[in-house]
Amino acid sequence: MKGLKDRLISGLLLLLSLALCFFSTQKFREQHKKETLFPSGGLASREMLSSYFPGLIDTPGDTEVYIYGGQNPGGNILILGGAHPNEPAGYVTAVLLIENIQVSQGKIIVIPRANNSGFTHSEPQEGNLRGYSLETPGGKRFFRFGSRLTNPIHQWPDPTLYINPSGQKLSGQESRNLNRCYPGKPKGYLTEKIAFAIMEIIKKEKIDLAIDLHEAAPEYPVVNAIVFHENSAELASYSLMELQQIGFEFRLELSPNNLRGLSHREWGDHAQVMAILLETANPSQGRLKGKSSLSLIIEGKDRNYSKAAKFGLLFVPFDGEGIPIKLRVARHLAAIKILLSSFNELNPEKRIEVNHMPSSSQVKLKGIGQFLCPPYRK
Amino acid sequence: MFIVYHLIIFYLVSHFIWYLFRENEFWKRVSVALVLIMFLLRLFLIK
Amino acid sequence: MSEAAIFLFMIATFALLAMVLKLPIGVSLVFSALAGSLLGGEGVALHHLVEGSFGYFDTILIIVTAMIFMKVLQESGILDTVTAILLKSFYRRKVALLLTVMALVMFPGMITGSSTTAVLSTGALVAPVLMKMGLSRVKTGALIAMGAILGMIAPPVNILVMIMGGGVDMPYVGFTLPLLIIVIPLAVSTSLWLGYKNIKIIEYKQMKEVLPESFFKKYGFRLYLPLIIVIGLLLGQSLMPGIIPDIGIPAIFLLGSFLGIFCGKPLNILKTTQKAIEESMPILCILVGVGMFIQIMTLTGARGWIVTSFLSFPPLLLYLGIATSMPLFGAVSSFGSASILGVPFILALIDKNAILTSSALSAVAGLGDLMPPTALAGIFAAQVVGEANYFKVLRFCLMPALFAPLLDKLI
Ligand SMILES: [Zn+2]
Repeated sequence: MKGLKDRLISGLLLLLSLALCFFSTQKFREQHKKETLFPSGGLASREMLSSYFPGLIDTPGDTEVYIYGGQNPGGNILILGGAHPNEPAGYVTAVLLIENIQVSQGKIIVIPRANNSGFTHSEPQEGNLRGYSLETPGGKRFFRFGSRLTNPIHQWPDPTLYINPSGQKLSGQESRNLNRCYPGKPKGYLTEKIAFAIMEIIKKEKIDLAIDLHEAAPEYPVVNAIVFHENSAELASYSLMELQQIGFEFRLELSPNNLRGLSHREWGDHAQVMAILLETANPSQGRLKGKSSLSLIIEGKDRNYSKAAKFGLLFVPFDGEGIPIKLRVARHLAAIKILLSSFNELNPEKRIEVNHMPSSSQVKLKGIGQFLCPPYRK
Repeated sequence: MFIVYHLIIFYLVSHFIWYLFRENEFWKRVSVALVLIMFLLRLFLIK
Repeated sequence: MSEAAIFLFMIATFALLAMVLKLPIGVSLVFSALAGSLLGGEGVALHHLVEGSFGYFDTILIIVTAMIFMKVLQESGILDTVTAILLKSFYRRKVALLLTVMALVMFPGMITGSSTTAVLSTGALVAPVLMKMGLSRVKTGALIAMGAILGMIAPPVNILVMIMGGGVDMPYVGFTLPLLIIVIPLAVSTSLWLGYKNIKIIEYKQMKEVLPESFFKKYGFRLYLPLIIVIGLLLGQSLMPGIIPDIGIPAIFLLGSFLGIFCGKPLNILKTTQKAIEESMPILCILVGVGMFIQIMTLTGARGWIVTSFLSFPPLLLYLGIATSMPLFGAVSSFGSASILGVPFILALIDKNAILTSSALSAVAGLGDLMPPTALAGIFAAQVVGEANYFKVLRFCLMPALFAPLLDKLI
């Protein structure tokens, strides 16, 4: 029989465990709180993704869908942000659109948090901050920095081997990567259901052009790139020239045929839309990144990346100035704007007219916050 | 599958706690307490 | 405070706690991570520490459940029975025995991509056979550890390659041949090198003496049921996806353990679980500690500093850097090594054939499972053969392990 003292120590250690659990819980819980978005007056309606696919009702995968225009028929465009919640420029660009644009012809649908569950946690061992604030004229707006993958408390366990809906073999955790799960499965994993719902939107809303906003680490070859499905080859090359004329260098990448499950491949194959994926260079998601800090996320400065650039290890220029988020968002905005105008040139019978879209040069000059609503507006 | 794994975690948490009270060596008990944190957070679906 | 200083301080704290104060390795890692967090100006970053440990949550689940399964095999008499069969069929054929044993150990690793699974399932089956045939404990342990690692690298499932491929958008296609070319020569030479001289061909009478009791007569065919189910499910989930459900490795092991209750000598599953937890606790705590350690390294910038430093080596040194840093980092986990170092290395060697490069890198990263302090393959192999000091086991892995990076150079 054991002594009383021994039991006391064990009891205290159990209490310690519970206490540490309790104290860390608050931070983990906070990350589930959605930041409020303030759509512009041009918003026609706000739906939930589950209204296109009821399988998502009451799941953490359900997310807001913002619809603009639609009164005057024209081209239908889908813009996806937050497919990877650790790629802030994609998310923030989608938010900027939501809070500014008006559509007088055609229809624009924006999903800012495509993988809503991924925003509710951060990846183990990446040491990421919980989020970052952007300065607006009326105060700071906070945005979460999430994980590339769906939260394991929402989708668990991972299979040993993941065979995605397009038959590609991937490591098990990729079953939580939205951009590997297309075209999705109505009865599959949560992430596959989200992918399926997005395919449903594309089909039901008769989308013509779908744009997926991403970022990638600067050491990754497909960065500052327009990845296009062969359906949209003309659109992509046409846009590239226009972008070069206004001083933005992009790489054109044809969506590889043997890499299945990605948006730019399966959207085009399964819904015959013009599918485009945009990548900017984000040092805060790379493997070389230094100390986690706000300046890494917002100003995009990092000594390791400057050093790596000198050794020719990166696929983008990188110096002491870094690649600030406002520049990355400006790139996305410029690319979207020119993709839309090229779309109009190529499809004059399906025009899309957008007003009040923040201009890339202004965002670069004044910062993102100037185009965001202040935090208190109703 | 989610429920099965939740049950597995519950089974293991109970065993960890039992072991915590069975073990005599102090640092081994500290080890259990450290491992237990993670399992409790998953059991309560927090992380 | 520079990243290098923080990193060195963390290492020094770890060394002080583990070697001078003789705290358990896992606990020392936790405290050195905490120290790094304080020195890096992050305070007691509790949520970061906890988050870091979750990087190994799935690994920990596999280890606990595999350990429970192994204990059930032992206590139900299944292990003895299988040993008896293997011994009876191979006691006079040395090479056949060694190669069969190697194949058996590699098998679960090939299917699951996890060396721990291999050591704790078939590794546990063959260990007593080898020892009864005259192979020393340490060499048996080394053979099992190497077999498990080679199995992890071998096709059809190599998770290390998948992780690296995921980082550079390379589909897992066309790896079978390159991986086999790396693995087969290593597997054959390792098993013969470690075993050929020491294994004795024994007489029937001698064999009878060391033969453990077989429970086959008493319980009949159902004795094998747990093993068949576990191996069948492990196989099925990767070879016949969609037909055989993928319930995950932990659930498979627990299902096998549950069946074990009814298939052999009676056992108390609660007590067996306690034994399994008691034995696996040190490694569980190490994984928790390593997870925290990496999280703080990343948070304070030490990880990025290390990766960048290696990448900025000139080409010749880069190869040397790969050959040393990947197994070294594998000390924290071979999967982590594949992701954190493997991906940038592939990108740095992008002008080479990516399939060959990543196959070779996976072999180098896999060796990380032999590196202390985690040394998953080494520690468990030592445990399976009942050797208290796993460093002795590692010594015999050194030779074949050195051979692998060499092979890598040739490619
Ligand atoms: Zn992305």
